[in-house]
Amino acid sequence: MAVKAFSNEWAKAFKDEVNKSSVYKTAGKGWKWTVGLVVEAEPANHFPEAKGIVMDLFDGEARDIKVGAASDAQKCDFVITAPYTRWKEVATNQLDATKGMLQGKLKLKGDLPTIVRYTKASQEMTLCTTRIPVEWPDEK
Amino acid sequence: MARRKVKAKQGGAAGSGSAKPSGSTPRLDVDSRALVGYDDDEPSAFASMLGGLIEANVRSHREKERDFESLKARVGIWVTDIDEGVTLDFKGGKLVVHNGLKPRRKLTIRTDADTVMSLSNLKIGLFGLPVYYDEVGRGVALKLMTGKLKIEGLLSNVMTLNTVTRIFSVQ
Repeated sequence: MAVKAFSNEWAKAFKDEVNKSSVYKTAGKGWKWTVGLVVEAEPANHFPEAKGIVMDLFDGEARDIKVGAASDAQKCDFVITAPYTRWKEVATNQLDATKGMLQGKLKLKGDLPTIVRYTKASQEMTLCTTRIPVEWPDEK
Repeated sequence: MARRKVKAKQGGAAGSGSAKPSGSTPRLDVDSRALVGYDDDEPSAFASMLGGLIEANVRSHREKERDFESLKARVGIWVTDIDEGVTLDFKGGKLVVHNGLKPRRKLTIRTDADTVMSLSNLKIGLFGLPVYYDEVGRGVALKLMTGKLKIEGLLSNVMTLNTVTRIFSVQ
């Protein structure tokens, strides 16, 4: 069943997908930092308020993924920021997250060597989001 | 045409702390000066990312710092699947990053975004040579053999490529 984009149900489904992934479990070994995703508001696309996704990832496991205020996500060790439409492109496999970062479509804040070292883990996390059936607010 | 003043961004990579001196080997004074400058008023995201990555690497690894101090070469990187590139102008202790490919390059690497990431994940082994026998290395070697990774100027600049790889590698 589809879940609302960037809702608590979506966060739970995302966490489950990450923890089901053997690829992530291996690629994320040694990771010990929090990751925040900031989804910027796009009122024209029925996404009126920015949201923050706070991911507590540790050693190949998603310990917790929560949806809350953008300001919570901004406090994480690594912060990736993009407007709603960009995140939708990532979650529907239309935009590769690595390419998105190189093109500046996704803005990254955090220690670059660390994130580059975990490219495979971040790619797998992106794939996890594509496996979740999502109800998008602009498609209602 | 007048040349633009190169802009320096100190501590380009957010959160990348400088390593503290340790041991008896004299440490080059990279902590107090800008290592990376950008030739363009608005560096592309790719230029900022590569510049930031190299700066963080050099500031935190003494062996990369030594390579950085000695390297004098212009290296182009063109990412085929985003149609963007940069020129890294290493000037012996200083790097100027240009948007796009500029003339007089010793080496030009043309490949996709994933392979650029793989190149920066190559491990460095004995004698400072990149490791091509582990999973990442084999992937890079395969792309080189199948033409998905092209390196212009490779044959006459192998040593330069190895030095750039060492500076670029996060491993």
